[in-house]
Amino acid sequence: MDQPLNLKLSSLSLISQNKLQNILSQCGEKKDLIIDPSLIKALERICGVTWLRQHGVDKIYKMDPQLGPTANANRVYFIPACIIKYKCVLDQISSLISQNPSIADVNGFHIIIIPKVLNSFDSILESKGLYGVVKLHAFAWELMVLDDQLLSLELPFLFKQLFVDQNQSLLSGVAMSLWTLFHVTGRPKVMCSFGKFSAGVLDMLEIYNETYSRNFVDTNNSRDIGALLVIDRTQDYASSLLTPATYSGLLKEIFSINCGFLDLNVKDTKVMKGKLNFDSEQSNESKSTAMPLDSSIDSLYAEIKHRHFSEVLSVLSSKAKLLKNEDIKALGIQEMKHFVATKLQQVTLFKQNLVNHVLACETIISEMSNRFENLKLTETEMLNNRNKKTNYNFLDENFGTEIHIYNSLRLMCLLSLTQGLSYDEYNTLVNKYLLAFGYKYLYVFNNLINSGLLIQPSNIKLSLNISNLSNLSDKLPKWQNEFQTAAHKLKQLPSKPDDVGKSSPSYVFNGGYIPLVAIICNAILTSESLSEVLTKLSTLTDFKIGGVINEKLKDGVETLNEKLSNLKVSNDLEFGCKDPKILSKVVKSDPNFCNLFQLKPKTILVFVIGGVNYAEIAACEVVQTNTGSKIYIASDCVSNGSDLIAAHM
Amino acid sequence: MSLVTPKVLDLILLAQSGKDPAQEQSQESPETVAVTLKRLVLGRRCALHVHRTMKSKTELLDGAVAIGDGNAILTVVLFLIATLNKKLVYELLSSRLIALNHYISFLQNEGKITELTDLLTMLGRSPDAAMAHFQHAVKTQGNNVDGLLRKVTNILANHFNQPGVDAHQTKMVDAYVKLLEWQKLANLPELSNRSALQCLAYTCSRHWTEGAGAAMSPLTLGQRQQISPLQFDWVVLNVHAKSGKWDILESLFTKKDWLGRSTVSSHVPAQCLLRRLSELGASSRLMAACLAKLPSADERLALALNYKVHCVVIQTYAKQKDRLALTNYKMTLNPQSEEYILAENTLRDPSIKWKN
Repeated sequence: MDQPLNLKLSSLSLISQNKLQNILSQCGEKKDLIIDPSLIKALERICGVTWLRQHGVDKIYKMDPQLGPTANANRVYFIPACIIKYKCVLDQISSLISQNPSIADVNGFHIIIIPKVLNSFDSILESKGLYGVVKLHAFAWELMVLDDQLLSLELPFLFKQLFVDQNQSLLSGVAMSLWTLFHVTGRPKVMCSFGKFSAGVLDMLEIYNETYSRNFVDTNNSRDIGALLVIDRTQDYASSLLTPATYSGLLKEIFSINCGFLDLNVKDTKVMKGKLNFDSEQSNESKSTAMPLDSSIDSLYAEIKHRHFSEVLSVLSSKAKLLKNEDIKALGIQEMKHFVATKLQQVTLFKQNLVNHVLACETIISEMSNRFENLKLTETEMLNNRNKKTNYNFLDENFGTEIHIYNSLRLMCLLSLTQGLSYDEYNTLVNKYLLAFGYKYLYVFNNLINSGLLIQPSNIKLSLNISNLSNLSDKLPKWQNEFQTAAHKLKQLPSKPDDVGKSSPSYVFNGGYIPLVAIICNAILTSESLSEVLTKLSTLTDFKIGGVINEKLKDGVETLNEKLSNLKVSNDLEFGCKDPKILSKVVKSDPNFCNLFQLKPKTILVFVIGGVNYAEIAACEVVQTNTGSKIYIASDCVSNGSDLIAAHM
Repeated sequence: MSLVTPKVLDLILLAQSGKDPAQEQSQESPETVAVTLKRLVLGRRCALHVHRTMKSKTELLDGAVAIGDGNAILTVVLFLIATLNKKLVYELLSSRLIALNHYISFLQNEGKITELTDLLTMLGRSPDAAMAHFQHAVKTQGNNVDGLLRKVTNILANHFNQPGVDAHQTKMVDAYVKLLEWQKLANLPELSNRSALQCLAYTCSRHWTEGAGAAMSPLTLGQRQQISPLQFDWVVLNVHAKSGKWDILESLFTKKDWLGRSTVSSHVPAQCLLRRLSELGASSRLMAACLAKLPSADERLALALNYKVHCVVIQTYAKQKDRLALTNYKMTLNPQSEEYILAENTLRDPSIKWKN
């Protein structure tokens, strides 16, 4: 069955549907579905209301702590794997049972948890005395196709759990989704991981492969996907912190986008919501439209989504002119009939899309224009470690005046990562932030340090010995910081940002920075030999290689059991992937070995753990065009800098 | 003659040992650590309790951390907590940061804040313990001023005084307590747990005229919370502009120098000030006074054109003796308007020696 890859990916939703059907059949004949509002849009991508009705769902409610009685006693809850929401559901069930103890025996309570049921959930169930009364079901839906070559698991809470709370419980969910994907597309010959969590995912993938290998499972290498790259969000925070210059990136800055649907609410944008308001709380009752950001539905979006914002308005106005020129009044009756039958719907839809995009553009301009130039300049200077004092003053002025609850912190993190903040500078900014939004947010800065977005400066006044010397070294301007050193080695900082054309992926950040994802894809797609790949990516510390090469490196038939028995403390498992430094020795001794690492694959699948952003997607499209290959991007969600910061609150 | 038969003796020994003869025969080899770990990762039921030796427990922990599945890691940690004494578990966790973080996250989610702070203090991480306490208090007390005041004061006294705690953080918590005390005094529900600047905005709009001694005076609050001059000016600017009290703003921000000219003095940087004034609908006169503060004539001109402060544009062109520019500019103005007439008059001014 040689279907095109796109078709295969779209049919992943059928597997999700099947999984859900299986679960619902265990939940009784007639039930009410109580769904967490954040999951509604994602569920709509799997099945509609009619399908649910066909499988026994009578009424659908939104989950609410104050939810009253429902039509049926039989309840199926549908929630994400967040402990607070889970406990909320259990409390609701407990109170129902305390009012009417007889319903506990009917087996009428089910909770569907996305994507997996954690062991702690089981224990909590037991401790609340609800074991046996409430049944838990894990529903790991498959990757959803949000747009052309863009897949998402729609698990926006993953970043917070993994990087802020340091809780790796849902990492296996990522591995599981890839394992299922490879049943549909075949296993890629090459697998690389960049980061500790990514290595964990490859290890777990290998565990699933080993455990679930059957003679009917096709182990041939995929003809659809040549390479899989799994990358931790921490490998490149800068891409998320920088302000994007592409249309889709800016849309995400201004409007909330949920599961591929944009909320076109011009009176209450994300920028407005985050600002300091001195008026008493006003609820803005404004009209909002849900715009699907899908290239297959909206051809206009397909054209402009990755364009630099400066070009978008002119594209839109030329489209508008074209529309005007289509004079349908001059058509005869027959032609008119033909038009109505075939093209009218298309044209109406196109007009509506055009109107929406123009409105979105205008909103972007009005929200961003006053500070965009200065922001762009400051960000580029930060990236190149120039004019730190000016950059800091810009930030200080921002914190003192037009402070934004997320974006201001974003800029602070960027400055901290690229140029560093002194103890006093750091505390001045913290002080201003807390005065503006409340001292209660003091813990946010600790969370930012834990996830690596912010670097805590040391209090040099505390060092009693030779304090003058240490002061001096801080005062001397460093020509390059760690950030610049790494970025220069990977060639992420173009020397002439203003001369950058559309063929460089750095255009997504006005020529200032190339996202790491694009650099890695480019290395894999353009290198002539494995050692060239290893050289280009040598500075990445957590780079591991898996796939077919890994299988050949296994000494004999090294099962997981053996691996674990030989493990030493704090060593990496190295089951699904290995450190390339080990490989380079083997590579030198056995040239045939290199053939196992398929260079210049035609298709790459990139999975970013922790959320991918639109700028990275656009940058990969440039690499795709330059190399004549295809790059598919997947992640647990599509996010941006403010989403990352918001996860710390 | 013996006391009991050998068989009875065996029976007595059996009863003492508590062994089950039936089970003895069908005893399988116990589950290995690797098998248990694999079952944990795959989500299958497994028998953790068979791993009773310290060695196998340690292997379980290290194996789970190496694989990286958080669910497995936390399950093992909780198993260790249930079956080993605290001191041993803390020792194991202290050298396995990933496992420790999972346990910390678990305790935080469960609200087991005392256990968490005990753990962190034992590991020598008192500053983290203090912050964990703080975060918990803030998240559980909502906007209840009394509750917050009680809890935060307690945390400040008992946890932020520990060695290693950052001095600035302590200062911030102390400032929080001060603000809460002020809010308690003010006793207004709309100010409950609002930020310092929001409280300042309130005092600016309702208690502007009160002096620095009064409790609700903006000056008192500003001093008490050590609000930076920039932020103070910004709040004042926004609050009064929004309620149309331009006269207050003018008297605040403009000073008359000895020549009688108005100059603007504000902690808000000039460009930012102009932008905000324009957004809030300030009069041309006020805008002109702000523009006059800028040293560079080019900058003044560019901004004046941007914000349509006509009088400054006209004046600048006059100073530059640029008749052409002024004439062109006049065309863009609304005839009959004040600025049109001013432009006309300026063009007709005989004292100006025009360049072009």
